[in-house]
Amino acid sequence: MINFLFLVTLLIYLAASIFQTLSLAISSRTEAAVIRPTIERIAFWGTGIGFAFLTLFIALWWLQQGHFPMTHWTDSTAFFAWAITLIYLIIVRLTHLRALGSFVMPVAFIAILISYSFATHTAALPEPLRNYWLLAHTTLIFLAYAAFIAAFGFGLMYLMTERKIRKKTDALLDNLLPSLGTSDGLGYRCTILGVILLTMGVIVGSLWTQYIRDVPWRWLDAKVISTFVTWFIYVAQIGLRQFWGWHGRRAAYTAIIGFVAVLCTYVGVDLFLDSMHTYR
Amino acid sequence: MNQIVSIGTSHHIAPIEFREKLAFSEAQIIESLQHFRESDQVQEAVILSTCNRVEVYAVANAVRNADAAAKILVEFLSRYHQIGVESLKKWTYLHHNLETIRHLFRVTASLDSMVVGESQILGQVKTAYDASREAGGAGTILNRLFTKAFSVGKRIRSETTIAAGAVSISYAAVELAKKIFNTLEGKTVAIVGAGEMSELTAKHLVSNGVSNVIVANRTYERAVKVAEKFNGTPLAYDNDLSFLIDADIVISSTNAPDYLIKRRPLADVMRKRKHRYMFLIDIAVPRDIEPDVSKIDHAFLYNIDDLEAVVASNLKDRQQEATRAEQIVTEEAKRFYDQLQIFQVNPTIKALHQQFREVAATELQACFYKTTLSDQQEAAIASMTQAIVKKLLHHPMQNLRCAVNDGNADHGQYVQALQELFALDVNDDNSEL
Repeated sequence: MINFLFLVTLLIYLAASIFQTLSLAISSRTEAAVIRPTIERIAFWGTGIGFAFLTLFIALWWLQQGHFPMTHWTDSTAFFAWAITLIYLIIVRLTHLRALGSFVMPVAFIAILISYSFATHTAALPEPLRNYWLLAHTTLIFLAYAAFIAAFGFGLMYLMTERKIRKKTDALLDNLLPSLGTSDGLGYRCTILGVILLTMGVIVGSLWTQYIRDVPWRWLDAKVISTFVTWFIYVAQIGLRQFWGWHGRRAAYTAIIGFVAVLCTYVGVDLFLDSMHTYR
Repeated sequence: MNQIVSIGTSHHIAPIEFREKLAFSEAQIIESLQHFRESDQVQEAVILSTCNRVEVYAVANAVRNADAAAKILVEFLSRYHQIGVESLKKWTYLHHNLETIRHLFRVTASLDSMVVGESQILGQVKTAYDASREAGGAGTILNRLFTKAFSVGKRIRSETTIAAGAVSISYAAVELAKKIFNTLEGKTVAIVGAGEMSELTAKHLVSNGVSNVIVANRTYERAVKVAEKFNGTPLAYDNDLSFLIDADIVISSTNAPDYLIKRRPLADVMRKRKHRYMFLIDIAVPRDIEPDVSKIDHAFLYNIDDLEAVVASNLKDRQQEATRAEQIVTEEAKRFYDQLQIFQVNPTIKALHQQFREVAATELQACFYKTTLSDQQEAAIASMTQAIVKKLLHHPMQNLRCAVNDGNADHGQYVQALQELFALDVNDDNSEL
């Protein structure tokens, strides 16, 4: 039954992603006026209901395991999707820019798909890790990832709008995507938010190591290094923007590079390198 | 029965030479409406006279059919404007009843305009209607019709996008600027050279929030003259583009034979302004801005052809929307027409009922006066009489309503026959409309 409900959640996310992307594919004003409101409504309600389901599942696992569920890919990716949706919903609440969902919801869907495919697996969490440090550390890191993914979405939106403006003829036909200035500015804010959260997450993580002696700490841990690379990419972007006027197009490309770095840190390191941060 | 007819001409079918002959001045409209009122041939009228169209909407009830009503209008126009009936027939269109309603809805919704979706016509129709109402031209039926036309126009504007998208070069420029900058507040526009188009565009930009205007011209005096209009900063330029460092939007329209703004110097400018977005509009022919400029990051160049293409694509889009709007018009016109029919027979139905009831009441009173019946008996007789009245009227009323609902043209004759046969006194002011 629980498995079935999780499948339902997965399908809701799939539907929300598809409808979000469809809404972006509309190019004529006629279609926009006739069907977009319906599509957007479905997509948005799908996102809301999917998010509620996901929250319930995480709560359920928490109760079952007796500690914050973050032991296996199942928990981890579900929480990843949860964080992405949360940040997206907050951004929509503040800016009314639903178009962002077309870029971030598919990422959330893939995360849940991974979670679903591992659904029967569980792993035991070592005793010393069961505490609120785990909760604080992972929540901060995942919210940072979600903010970076939102920045990535804004970067793609920027590039799409720019292409339309350069293509000229149908530059004005679609009013879904915001202006270049808006995409760029919001992407930048998301980046700053992400850097702050990531910095805090890393600090919490390193303080945590002071409290656990049983697990040996290695500075050369693959995840740690990869995280620093990611952090550096975003900090460099902020610096270049402040001092050299690197915004707009370049910022959009950096957001895409940063997104790849986030994926490498989160998934890649686990699959191909050895680390104490693995979910297995 | 009331006949709603209209006669008119527009840019679609008649040349300006004819339209100006048919046009009415404000005073002429009042005069004509007065004439209609006095002549007794036409009960209600509204005259719409704009540069693109002249139309007379009228309601006549003392005529046999719509053709007769139309004939009154043709004769009136021919006499009033001294135009031969033949050329009137050639250059005007006539509409009857449902078609009149549909036509007015189309006009008000701007589906019949030169630029579909333009917003002026709604105001023009409103003015014409108000003028007519003040002069006592519009009565209950036209009041109803025009009020409905305005609400249909509003519905179309909200449910379709026929009014969306810039259809003039200057508005297209404003909309493009809004796609680039997150806000136009606090932005600076530089007008290079002078010209009506660039001033108009700058004006639209300013009214959309742009706060600073720089006017650059080879001759300082001319720059000053244009700058005064915008409370802007005049300056004389000489191949030095440094004044563009502060400019977010550049409108160029000089007579220079060569490119005035070239890629390399502009790239320098862009660097100095920290690569903030720059929207360049080149409306000069020959062009002022080197096309390669658009290869610079964050510099967006549109020339006159690009802007015209944007406008053309918006117009095409409006055309598509117009099809949907036409469906709404047809559906609303039909509904309005049906309602109007029912409202038109209602006074007759009411009068007939009243007559029957009055006769019954009088007879009952006479009968009760002569006899001595118990209260119970009187009540029984009274309710029986009511039942008889009701039953007698049932079929005629039902058939009349059916005739109306079926769109059967005979119902006018039915109403007339009823009124004559039963000597009904139907005051035709349609007070319940």
